[in-house]
Amino acid sequence: MTIAGFIVKNALRNKRRALLCILSVAVSLFLLVSLLVALREITLPPEDVGAAARIIVRNKVSLASPLPARQRAVLERIPGVEAVTPFTFYGGKFRDEDFPKFAQFAVDPKEFMRIVVEAKMQVDQLDAFLKDQRACIVGKITADKYGLKIGDRLNFIGTLWPCDLELKMVGTYQGTIDDRNLFFNHKYFDEAMGNLGQVGTWWVKARSIDDMPDVLDRINRAFANTSAEVRAETERAFQMSMVSMWGNIKILVRSICSVVVFTLLLVSASTMSMAIRERFRELAVLKAIGFQRREIFGFILAESFGLAAVGALLGIGGAWAFFTHISISKLTDGIFVAFEVTPQIMGVAGTVAAALGIVSALAPAIAMARMSVVDGLKTLD
Amino acid sequence: MALPITYNLRNVVLRWRATLATVLGVALVVAVYVLVQSLAVGLEKSSGNTGDPRNVMIVRKGATAESSSQVTRAQLRLIQYWPEIARDDAGRPLLSADVLVLINLPRREDNGEANVLVRGISPVGIPLRPQVTLVGGRWFTPGKREVVVSRRLAARFANFEIGDSFSSGGRTLTVVGQMDGQRSAFDSEVWMDGDEARSIFDREFYSSLLVRATDDAGRAALIERIEGDKRLPVRGLEETKYYAAQTMTAMPIKILGNLLATAMSIGAVFAAMNTMYASVASRTREIGTLRVLGFRRRTILLCIIIEGGFLALLGGAVGCLLSLPMHGYSTGTISFETFSETVFEFRITPWLAAQGLLFSVIVGVVGSLLPALRASRLPVIAALKSL
Repeated sequence: MTIAGFIVKNALRNKRRALLCILSVAVSLFLLVSLLVALREITLPPEDVGAAARIIVRNKVSLASPLPARQRAVLERIPGVEAVTPFTFYGGKFRDEDFPKFAQFAVDPKEFMRIVVEAKMQVDQLDAFLKDQRACIVGKITADKYGLKIGDRLNFIGTLWPCDLELKMVGTYQGTIDDRNLFFNHKYFDEAMGNLGQVGTWWVKARSIDDMPDVLDRINRAFANTSAEVRAETERAFQMSMVSMWGNIKILVRSICSVVVFTLLLVSASTMSMAIRERFRELAVLKAIGFQRREIFGFILAESFGLAAVGALLGIGGAWAFFTHISISKLTDGIFVAFEVTPQIMGVAGTVAAALGIVSALAPAIAMARMSVVDGLKTLD
Repeated sequence: MALPITYNLRNVVLRWRATLATVLGVALVVAVYVLVQSLAVGLEKSSGNTGDPRNVMIVRKGATAESSSQVTRAQLRLIQYWPEIARDDAGRPLLSADVLVLINLPRREDNGEANVLVRGISPVGIPLRPQVTLVGGRWFTPGKREVVVSRRLAARFANFEIGDSFSSGGRTLTVVGQMDGQRSAFDSEVWMDGDEARSIFDREFYSSLLVRATDDAGRAALIERIEGDKRLPVRGLEETKYYAAQTMTAMPIKILGNLLATAMSIGAVFAAMNTMYASVASRTREIGTLRVLGFRRRTILLCIIIEGGFLALLGGAVGCLLSLPMHGYSTGTISFETFSETVFEFRITPWLAAQGLLFSVIVGVVGSLLPALRASRLPVIAALKSL
């Protein structure tokens, strides 16, 4: 019998225990991966949003305060600014839902398509969006969720603004970081609000990434000491400020992650030591026939490492397969969109599993090393 | 014939080294469950604890939250002298026309920024909300740019000590007092003079009206009258009911708690199973002896299940104890209703602790089911012969 064969036989001789051990490691790692992915989704906006040279301009008081529409002319004259669109959160309840379950924004369709270039649409649908003032385009996720078709009339009751809208769906788009939103013409919004002359935020496209710091500075200065001072920031900074609002929830999820890891450690370490304690006598025999401590430690380590590795494969691989093949947005009713299991997260979980294998082997290995051969041989159970 | 309960209990304690890990494992699972659920309870208690039963809140029809509601001055003029509204000694109606503004402010220790809910109120707005008391400084003076901040918010945001000032909307606001809302939603608010707030933040309209009805009948009549008046695109509802319905923020936390509990309990069941199998295996002879003495299979089965349940219950109790220090600890996150920082506490209620214990017993019983079956099916003679 080879040494590898010996280790595998040993690991599997109590099949039930090996299975339970592997399964508990797998379940815990699955949970850990899910938590890490969820945490990443709420705390980290996608890395690539910086590439689009987009600037978001909001009221300095807070995002909830509107900006005057007259700012547009000033913005458009600022050097380095290529395109400007109003970007107003409408917040309507769709049909008979209790609260808004996806976001609707009023924009200037033409400028919007120049700024949000990653939104992919069919040419004829884009054409209709540009021409018809009551037209709207819907993100693919939302369109699929409600089974919306081109030509559908979509009715909304305004929760944030005192106006109700009826929009005509003329197309779908995909390819943005959040394909759930609906976009419609700001002119229709203005009309419905009785030409209030207010917008939520401005989205601005800078000429290039290098121009961004200067453009940001110019925009902020342009409206300093006016009735509506603004805060211009890069899209990424804007999203980070949204993340900051989650407050202590992030710490909460992080602490839960560490508790999960600790519980995992506890359970598998105890299983491992249980398995070793049962065969003290055998180990004493091994020692008696000349195996050295570190060789025996190697056996124990390999066994516990192996169990942890199989558990990790099942748990992490399972999580990866699960989140890659199911539609998370359907499952959570649109709370989460991407739920991407990144190599980094898999790496973290894998490291936890490896550490687990090593730490669980330590206690029994130390007990074994301390044991004298004679005592070991005397052990009965 | 049943085995004495002490036999089970002593068995659990006897193999303490093997059981300790399982007990701790179950304890951590229960602690996580109780803590996450206690957040949801804290949030719900905070909104459920808000408002005065005698008050009626008036908001725009269609607005899901007070902060997105608008009430015009014309609507205010129409409503304010209705006879269903109580008057003070001087004959003025007990009505506060509020304006709600979100302002973006830095947290303490450079911990990012968040929205804070500023409520501009009429002077009578203070006595209309008797659960809010001043704990330091003084109330704001109408006509001045002064604010009173919640004590709990002050612990989380920079420049919220009495005497501090911060700027928003291009103006400087001075903190002149701190208030306590007795664990209500008002603990997440900053109060100031309503007309000043409307001028600083350029608000033409009010957000909501809060009125004190003359009595119970008056309250019902008032709500009905608002509903019946077709000129008014507003609706009236009891203040307590408005706040009690604000449970949207607690939902995802509850879901998270249940999800975690389910996933972690599977792990805990495996752990309990492992321990119980080992326990059964190491007393094969003892169980054989019990059978010979005349104890029946189902007695043995029950005995092992009780043992597993007790083991897990022990873990559950430890878990509840572990979570207890967090009780009353104040924390905050974004509210999905107001889109602003909401401050609330971990609230571990007896009911929640009982749920945690029940949860642990289920884990123990499910985990010991298979080992118990195995123990009860051991062939007597072989069991006796085993070492």
